[in-house]
Amino acid sequence: MIVKEFRELVRDRRTVGLLVGLPLILLVVFGYAANFYVDHVHAAVVGPQAEQVAAALPDFFDVTTVDPAGTEQHARDLLRDNRVDVAFVADTDVTALVDGSNLFAAQSIVGALNGMGDTVSTEVLYNPDLTTSWVMIPAIIGLILTFIGTIVTSIGLVREREAGTLEQLAVMPIKPSTVILGKITPYFIVASIDMVVVTVLGMLLFDVPFNGNVLTFALGAAIFLFVVLGIGVFISTISQTAGQAIQTAFFFLLPQILLSGMIFPLDAMAPGVRWIGYLLPLTYFTMISQGVMLRGAGIDSLWPAFLVLAVMATVVFTAATLRFRRDLAPERRPRRRGTHAGATSGGAA
Amino acid sequence: MTGVALEAHAVTRRFGAFTAVDTVSLQVSPGEVVGLLGANGAGKTTLMRMLLGLLPASEGRVDMLGGPPNRERRRRVGYVPQNLGLYRDMTLAENLDFVCGTYGTPLPAVPAELVRYADVLVAAMPLGAQRQAAFLAALSHGPELVLLDEPTSGVDALARAALWDTIRAQSDAGVGVLVTTHYMQEAQQCDRLLLMARGRLVGQGSEADLIGDTRALAVRTDDWAATFAALNAAQVPVILDGRAVRVADTDADDVRRILEQAGLAATVTAVPATIEERMLVLARGADRDGARSVS
Repeated sequence: MIVKEFRELVRDRRTVGLLVGLPLILLVVFGYAANFYVDHVHAAVVGPQAEQVAAALPDFFDVTTVDPAGTEQHARDLLRDNRVDVAFVADTDVTALVDGSNLFAAQSIVGALNGMGDTVSTEVLYNPDLTTSWVMIPAIIGLILTFIGTIVTSIGLVREREAGTLEQLAVMPIKPSTVILGKITPYFIVASIDMVVVTVLGMLLFDVPFNGNVLTFALGAAIFLFVVLGIGVFISTISQTAGQAIQTAFFFLLPQILLSGMIFPLDAMAPGVRWIGYLLPLTYFTMISQGVMLRGAGIDSLWPAFLVLAVMATVVFTAATLRFRRDLAPERRPRRRGTHAGATSGGAA
Repeated sequence: MTGVALEAHAVTRRFGAFTAVDTVSLQVSPGEVVGLLGANGAGKTTLMRMLLGLLPASEGRVDMLGGPPNRERRRRVGYVPQNLGLYRDMTLAENLDFVCGTYGTPLPAVPAELVRYADVLVAAMPLGAQRQAAFLAALSHGPELVLLDEPTSGVDALARAALWDTIRAQSDAGVGVLVTTHYMQEAQQCDRLLLMARGRLVGQGSEADLIGDTRALAVRTDDWAATFAALNAAQVPVILDGRAVRVADTDADDVRRILEQAGLAATVTAVPATIEERMLVLARGADRDGARSVS
């Protein structure tokens, strides 16, 4: 029985991948990424005393902007646009405005400022009490969309293959694009409804604010949904059974949870691991959802995240649907040999 | 419709080094029921999928209803795959609604024996009713060509007879039918038979044509298991029909000698051969040819 089990196991490449890959991922993640402490933050200093204050700040503050002509509004704009984690307004008094939407960085900043005594007054913006749920819920919305987009969609598509109805669809007079659209639209709608429900519940139950534009948020969610639906379609093209689809989706899902900045701050990760986070769509959706909901940020400051998601959506969705089309329009596939041999001789006896 | 409904010209399908279908040519005319026979793994389903254009041929050409199989021509084809192609988590009525909606045709009249299943999930229907429902769905748009892959697999004799009535009704209406099966009893229902073994078309014609000069022996014995084992070990083409041992294309004296050497008492008599025995002989021939081509 044991030998039989090993024989089956080594022939199941996905399970072997899960058994070998998962411990490696967890080791790397918890070794290099699992760190809640942010050891340096981006800072701006504005106001008449900006240069003196900037020079006096400890190394923990990586001062990227020093603007003696800048105002408090300028400082708030820098924070809203997520260009810095803390902005010092250096006038007669020094006030530190802290971006509370970047929870772990904010906690580190508040700790560092407390260590500086009464010389700086502190104001935490966007999340004054540094409530974890305010930061987590915008990210969890993305996680739910990822779950529906990858696991549920891929299972739904693979089920057609398992039942043999995909072949029947290929015989029927439906364009592959219609099949794909028909298969994906319900998941898009369900995921959208889920997103609205979770967002509203998050606001009602946890008092999470929604400071930005709803349309900006909806646009980001829609683009992100195309990315994860594309991943779901892609998974279905490389899976023969629902079990395989779930296993494969797990490979996509786990890094999103651990490395997108949802749990561990990207700034606290080792550079060798952080770049993986920047390849993950959830990273960019979290930037958008936190930016819109907490900071009230608009497309003018969030456009890089929108752009990356749009590129991902185009590439992933196109590649996935082209692969899926092959199952539905096989006569389009190039053949390795001549398409019209023409001869009628051969095996017919 | 006149001319040929379906034609394959020396089609071959390879999967890596394995040749699943090897230079097969065939024709199906309107109003003709052509049976594609062969044991499991003979290449029938692969050939069927190539004929439909669901699987590209590595070599050769398929003409379906006047040209290469494409979506427009498949619109005029009815297809019942081995696994039926019905949505098991939808009712019969919902399945028919989907199919007819797709083809843009009115809902077909549901036969009396299926009416009670109209609002039943397909998964909850008996297999015979499921197959009948698959036929109903596949024929609902009035196809000119019907391809059926093991259409009566797993159903009882009565349901099988009903399904064959449906097939004959289609051919009587001028529809060309290609049906794969490994039930030899069904072969007699076809106008013409094609016999496949190891991916090759190894015979075609009527049942009598296929059987040809194949000889068969019935071996009567008390110990059928040991008799079968002894003949099989001697590489004689032997089949077991229930507890009856039958041998194809082998001299009776050779059979007696093998059984004597094995210490088994048996009576060996010549009997008319069946298609199964012809298939066995042809499959072994194809095996030998394959072995020769590999070596």
